[in-house]
Amino acid sequence: MAKEGCKHSWRMTNVRYGFIVVEKCYHCKTERSYFAAEHTPPKEEYREGEHFWDYMGSAQSVQFGLKCDRCGREVPFADVLGLLTCSGCTPDCDAHVMSRICEDQRIWVYVALCYQPDIVSKDEMGDRLAILSQYFNERIRTPGKKILIVPGWLVKDIDICKGTVLKDVGMFEVEPEEVAS
Amino acid sequence: MTVAELKDKLELKPLNEVYDKEVDGVFISDMVSDVMAGAKPGALWVTTQSHKNVVAAANLVDICAVIVTRGKPVPDETIDMATRAELTILSTDLETYDLVGKLHAAGV
Repeated sequence: MAKEGCKHSWRMTNVRYGFIVVEKCYHCKTERSYFAAEHTPPKEEYREGEHFWDYMGSAQSVQFGLKCDRCGREVPFADVLGLLTCSGCTPDCDAHVMSRICEDQRIWVYVALCYQPDIVSKDEMGDRLAILSQYFNERIRTPGKKILIVPGWLVKDIDICKGTVLKDVGMFEVEPEEVAS
Repeated sequence: MTVAELKDKLELKPLNEVYDKEVDGVFISDMVSDVMAGAKPGALWVTTQSHKNVVAAANLVDICAVIVTRGKPVPDETIDMATRAELTILSTDLETYDLVGKLHAAGV
């Protein structure tokens, strides 16, 4: 159905609200995360093959795809865990460098974190993130402003990254200092 | 109606510069996932949240301004990020319900 040469017009589709669930195997210490489209996050401990998964935490999130209104092409983003904004914690991190350079040109960089980044080719992920960037940019009304979604492998070390993930947990736990009256 | 006009009409307190943007609708939610999936560009976002995630989400979908209700304190970190993103943060002591009533009466 997708047409070659289509000047795509993207809209969000297959929107599902749910949770990003983080689990850890107490046997081998492997951690994993996945999206659960349920009313409450699954917290029970369970065995799966050789793994014994323990619930570590969860965050409310949304999963979606994009569909072109002109040619019907669909682009899934089920493997995208969320978007992260750089906090500048590591000066030589490519994501940080790109964010600083782009911000001067009013281009706002968001890093797409994926559940299993190693199973997707970089070219394929790059193509999909370019489409996701196009989707947000098509909706920008502020003159001169742009959004750029970049892949997670630009982050130097995701384990120590202090970037802010757009998610709905922790927001209620962050209490600003009381303003002195 | 612009953000500046709305600020004056509803006596909202600006926490940073008031950027010249037209208000096109209102979106009410305390969840960034809601905003990412459902907010329209140019909308005014009404929330009780003040974490800097609010700015990141608002910036992504081109929200025109954010109103933080219930007099919730907004951290400097959030205000600084909003200023860099040219996003106005407004504050009110009103409850969300009362503010939305006033927005509706104002024709937004």
